[in-house]
Amino acid sequence: MIHFERVVLRYPRREQPAVRDVSLVARRGRITAVVGPNGSGKSTLVRALLGLLPLERGTITIDAADAATLDPRERARRVAVVPQRESPAFPLPVRELVALGRRPHLHALATWSAADSRAVDDAIAAAGVGDLVDRGSDELSGGEWQRVRIARALAQQGTSLVLDEPTTFLDVAHEMSVFELLARLAREGKAVLLVSHQLNLVARFADEIVLLHRGAVAAAGTPSAVMRGEILERVYEWPVVVVRDPAVGAPALVPLRGRRD
Amino acid sequence: MLSSQPHRIHARHVALVLTAWAVAGCARTGDAAHDSASDRAATPAAGFVDDFGDTLHVREARRIVSLSPTTTELLYTIGAGERVVGRTRYDVWPAAAKRVTDLGPGLRPNIELVMATRPDLVVLYAANDNRPAARALHAAGIATLSLKIDRIADFDRAAAILGDVTGRRAAADATADSVERTLARVRSAVATLPRPRVLWFLWDNPPLVLGHASYQSELLDIAGGVNVYDDWPDAAAKVSLEDVLRRDPEVILADPGADVMVNRSTRWRGVRAVRDGRVYAINDTLLNRPGVTLGMAAASLARLLHPGWEGP
Amino acid sequence: MTRRFALIVVLLLAALVLVAVAGVALGNVRVSPLGAWRALRGAGDPLVVAVVRDLRLPRVALAALVGCGLAMSGSALQSTLRNALAEPYLLGVSGGAAVGAVLAVSSGGGYGVVPLAAFAGAVLAVVVALVVAHAAGGRADGRVLLMAGVVVGAFANAAIMVVLANAPPNTIRDATWWMMGSVSAAEWSGVRWLAVYVALGGAALWAIGRDIDALALGDEAAAALGVRVGRATRWVYVVSALLAAATVSAAGLVGFVGLVVPHLARATGLRAQRELIVATALIGASLVVAADLAARLARPPAELPLGAVTALIGVPFFLTRLRALR
Repeated sequence: MIHFERVVLRYPRREQPAVRDVSLVARRGRITAVVGPNGSGKSTLVRALLGLLPLERGTITIDAADAATLDPRERARRVAVVPQRESPAFPLPVRELVALGRRPHLHALATWSAADSRAVDDAIAAAGVGDLVDRGSDELSGGEWQRVRIARALAQQGTSLVLDEPTTFLDVAHEMSVFELLARLAREGKAVLLVSHQLNLVARFADEIVLLHRGAVAAAGTPSAVMRGEILERVYEWPVVVVRDPAVGAPALVPLRGRRD
Repeated sequence: MLSSQPHRIHARHVALVLTAWAVAGCARTGDAAHDSASDRAATPAAGFVDDFGDTLHVREARRIVSLSPTTTELLYTIGAGERVVGRTRYDVWPAAAKRVTDLGPGLRPNIELVMATRPDLVVLYAANDNRPAARALHAAGIATLSLKIDRIADFDRAAAILGDVTGRRAAADATADSVERTLARVRSAVATLPRPRVLWFLWDNPPLVLGHASYQSELLDIAGGVNVYDDWPDAAAKVSLEDVLRRDPEVILADPGADVMVNRSTRWRGVRAVRDGRVYAINDTLLNRPGVTLGMAAASLARLLHPGWEGP
Repeated sequence: MTRRFALIVVLLLAALVLVAVAGVALGNVRVSPLGAWRALRGAGDPLVVAVVRDLRLPRVALAALVGCGLAMSGSALQSTLRNALAEPYLLGVSGGAAVGAVLAVSSGGGYGVVPLAAFAGAVLAVVVALVVAHAAGGRADGRVLLMAGVVVGAFANAAIMVVLANAPPNTIRDATWWMMGSVSAAEWSGVRWLAVYVALGGAALWAIGRDIDALALGDEAAAALGVRVGRATRWVYVVSALLAAATVSAAGLVGFVGLVVPHLARATGLRAQRELIVATALIGASLVVAADLAARLARPPAELPLGAVTALIGVPFFLTRLRALR
């Protein structure tokens, strides 16, 4: 479980905080989605969770432990994060990339064990990247790359999984396969915290949505509670209608042509 | 491990290496100044042609800037010392010279400082580094004499020329004769003694040793030794220590300080001279210039090379 | 993967042994293989014994250690700073060391002072670069660190020119020779202390090898894997700089080794930093021993500066790698 409680975050030398007074909980067995326009503070929350940005106020707790005092290695054993941006400085084989997920479990002098190999094998199987293990990281499609990174996160064997825009640049099939994978992981008991722009898919897969606007929570709750036309129009500053998807019954966003003013 | 700097950098030593090094550089680049120098006769009436090929007409210089230890010392020896108004940092013989204005290291002199001493003659060492200075001084209308004094024959010629431009030719000839006589005495005195193979070590990193074209090599020959690098045509040779070992010198001559390094370093301990305890510090006040001390220098060398020999 | 790594290590070790044997057997003095073997045990012609035991062995050992240190340092830096062009000298190490050495030479420091001064200069330059980077960037940003190093290096060059402008020729000669790098003055005392530095530095890099692998993915990914990014980056920076400083003070500036060897090591397919550290150490050692051999044999009786030889090897190689990168 990851719990952000009244969190305030500010980038150095900035007047305005990037995140103000945000609270949210990602529980085990559920997908919790953070959505919002560009610059609304979604990724900033992830950076704070990683300890890359100090908390100005509030607390982040991970499985009942304060993240601020948690050893980074211990944090990484509990929460696996798939950051938005990542590119290996030098291409490396998929299996080695996944194996890096064991780093939080290996102290400086620890040697690689059979348990580590098993964790890597399981993660590769769970993420469905078994046919990619001998490829280089520079020989993957966008969808394959994201699944490999999810495999690495699974090798961390944490209770929680955080993904920052995992389906950006993916086509429909790959996008769906990533979401299906996340849904399965949540069913298997992981707490999945997802930062995404894909409102319609989020509405179908997430158990709870937190909508951010200018660093603050604009709405939070079930998809049908958050995916409301008047809320989304105000937050995204664009005319929209929300319809009920005839095929799956989830709320779906339809942006309209032209600004209505 | 990188080390082996001499204990102290002698001002005098600097002048020696400076000379040797400059010659090495010039000889390789085909500077003809030296080769033609001894053919040229000094003809006062028509003016002198110096080692840069410049002609100058001087009868009796009154205010002389002398920018090399050899010429400064010569001027004092022939009785023109009181006319010296500028010298290099390294011109400290005789002691009276130290009172003269110090104009720096002698190569690439500061022209303004030179002119501020209001000289009617400037004597330069004829190294390529000094060509711009010679040109500038000529342009300023100051008589400038550039002399290359690297071999024993150069010394005789320099003495004659300086004698002419100061009007003290007789004293200059007497000085040169005295040097020549001493050299001849040393040569004949050691002629029958065994001639040890000698390495004259100038500088480390990389090892720089004395080659053939130098007054030191000539002195070594006069003093009854064989330069192991006599086959090297230049004044100085950069060599590897392995090559030194291969040539197996029986005696090593080095500046004070450098002899300590040679004796202490594990790299040198396989050299015969080191094993035999025959690494000698030379008397660098005598040996670092082809000047009026050439005769005494040869005698001092002969004493180092032939233990037990007491002098001519 | 482990079997492949073992195979690579065996091959690289064999190559190192081969060049080391050549380094002991070849030189201005002709030595037969048997003669060299006997000389190693102190038997035979005393000239050969002196050449082999006092000259060639220590310089082969020093060359190998210099190659080890620079290559490991370069590998760690390229991964940590995520920059294929990163190398230890860019951190200001070379510039600082050169200033220290030139000051020591020009003030007439005695034997043994130059290496100490070079080391002090290198460490000082790295500290200054860190302070500059901290003032400029706050966090330990790899690019800022690199730029700070370049700025410090440029300042060091200016300082060297000021010191050398009016220096006597043999000061310039010493300083120049030093800056061109050489192991010709190798003695066992120097070999011993460099061995300690290289062993400690290599061990320190090995200990954080997995962190370096994570850092190579980018800051956020490294943080996600539990790495304290700022601290780990600074640690790599300091250890790499000290390693390079130790080699520089032992042998002067030997360029391109830290830049080129990591590329060679990665070309074998190795990626994990711990494996790369071993592979770069072996390749670096072989490369510098071979380069020193070339420096010795090229123009007898003199020797070429080692740094010039490594640059002659390194620059064309690197140009071809640059083409491959783009």
